[in-house]
Amino acid sequence: MKHKKDRIIEKFLLLLLLIFALIIPLIIGSNQYNVLLVTTVLLYGVMATSWNIIGGLAGQLDLASFAYLGLGAFTSGTLFIRYNFSPWIGMVIGGLVAVGFALLIGIPLFRFRIREVWYALTTCALVEILKVVFTMWEEVGGPVERYLPYYRGSLYHMRFGSYIPYYYLILGLLLIVLLVNYRITKTKLGYYLKALGEDEIAAEALGVNTRVCKLRALVYYSFLIGVAGGIYANMYGYVHPSFFNGQESIKVAILGIVGGRGIAYGPLLAALLLVGIQEFLRASIGGEVSGLYLVIYSVILILVVLFRPKGIATIFQGIYQKLIRREVKKEDV
Amino acid sequence: METIIQGVFNGALMGCTYALIALGLSLIFGVMNVVNFAHGDFVMLSMYFTFWAGSIWGVDAALTPLITFPLLFSFGIIVYYGLINRTLREHYTIQIAVTVGLMTFLRAITQLVWHAQPRALPYSFIQGNIHLGGYVIALSRLTSATISLIIIAGISFFLSKTWPGRTIRATSDDLDAASLMGVDFQKTYALAFGLGSSLTAIAGSLLMTFQQVDPTMGLRFGLLSWCILALAGLGSIPGLLISGLIVGVGESLAMTFWDPRARSLVIYLIFILVLWLRPRGIFGRK
Repeated sequence: MKHKKDRIIEKFLLLLLLIFALIIPLIIGSNQYNVLLVTTVLLYGVMATSWNIIGGLAGQLDLASFAYLGLGAFTSGTLFIRYNFSPWIGMVIGGLVAVGFALLIGIPLFRFRIREVWYALTTCALVEILKVVFTMWEEVGGPVERYLPYYRGSLYHMRFGSYIPYYYLILGLLLIVLLVNYRITKTKLGYYLKALGEDEIAAEALGVNTRVCKLRALVYYSFLIGVAGGIYANMYGYVHPSFFNGQESIKVAILGIVGGRGIAYGPLLAALLLVGIQEFLRASIGGEVSGLYLVIYSVILILVVLFRPKGIATIFQGIYQKLIRREVKKEDV
Repeated sequence: METIIQGVFNGALMGCTYALIALGLSLIFGVMNVVNFAHGDFVMLSMYFTFWAGSIWGVDAALTPLITFPLLFSFGIIVYYGLINRTLREHYTIQIAVTVGLMTFLRAITQLVWHAQPRALPYSFIQGNIHLGGYVIALSRLTSATISLIIIAGISFFLSKTWPGRTIRATSDDLDAASLMGVDFQKTYALAFGLGSSLTAIAGSLLMTFQQVDPTMGLRFGLLSWCILALAGLGSIPGLLISGLIVGVGESLAMTFWDPRARSLVIYLIFILVLWLRPRGIFGRK
């Protein structure tokens, strides 16, 4: 049983974090580049936390996150460019398109019982397939960037002329994604997913309809990332087939793994730390020695995996529990 | 019609080298069930070593396997004892995470040392074309294919006739039984990993005789060899060769008849279809 005081401390800590997240742009807002960096880190947080639903809970190593991001970006962007559709509606449609695509792929994948490595590789190939398809599909994609119409500060068009509003948009989305994660772990679906994440065959033997469960997890995951894609397109102001980035999709999954599989805030923590370090290094030394920041980043990644295979989140859990225990002891005395 | 035959020829020659890369992956995955995401980047790394050997010491690309083979073999052993061995008992996602870390590391190192622009070597001494009744065959590709075939045959012989090769096969079949028969699985794993990596060295050097290299091409080779492996299934070397040919020819035909950009599209579509329809591969054993 959790101590009542623990919950209060937990809520207090969360509130503190939220306030900190809210005032970040006020501190660094004078430099747009820094705001973009912080927003990028948060975006990876959104993606890795969404990934947690399919990867952490359901145990399916999905490497297609940027496929859904790209689909969301292209849907919202193309609707905007061609029909002057508001991205606010466009990003929801983008999420739905991503879901449609996910179902199109997911139904046969789970029907044919493709698991583990083969699932990972299929989804990895999917990103590359979409990249080629969108490069060849001249009406929508093509090899040249397609810029979104420029408006300075139009709420309807989600164009602000500054990165700060996008920061808050992504932050809002991050909160929603975290909430969805927590809600799912509390429902029946969450328990089913956890069971099949641990041992798929055993879960099936106990009567869990693994196919439907995995599909539902896939739907949540692809929708959330598709919506993020809509914001992504508007933030950068263009759409391009390079949005379908296999390498970065793998990175999202790695953040989910390194964060601690199945712990809702683990992937976010990993994104904040690892992507934060990477972007910081890129901004500080990336200009002088190209590639050095990636060397440092990958060494950190390997060390974390070797020495904390259960996830970064476990480090913080340990520290947190020690703190709590000390509090309790003081109380007893 | 002539273009088709020409395309099939070119693709088949490439396919032999692809099969060699996939054979390395098959050794690693088949024996210790470790998913090596960095395999394609091993190819990229050995291509860069070949480039170095060629541009600094003036060694001809066709001869560099003599240097890169032992180099990548020892690199594979180091990677095995440094990274893979420590994660053998962990969840498979952890193994993938560590090899992805290695992949990022290799890519970053090559970017750091050789910069991001594509590199290529001056012509190798096996340059030139053979004209055969209206068809043109590049000599460099023919040589690479021949060497690949010889190496594949050699590995096949090694696995079936020699003691270390047999321990590799025994460990792949049943680890416990092999251990009880006195096979030191650590050494066998290290051998398989080193051998698997060093095969990419030969392939990389051969590819360098007619191709250029850049730091991002690893993922393509990685997915390519996984595709061949999926097509072939585990444990069949002739199957691996045929799958390599299928992939090479498919890629080449897609480039000539559809669109040069569609080359990877065809491979990945084959990959997904095979996984759906024949999850054990066409020539699979298990």
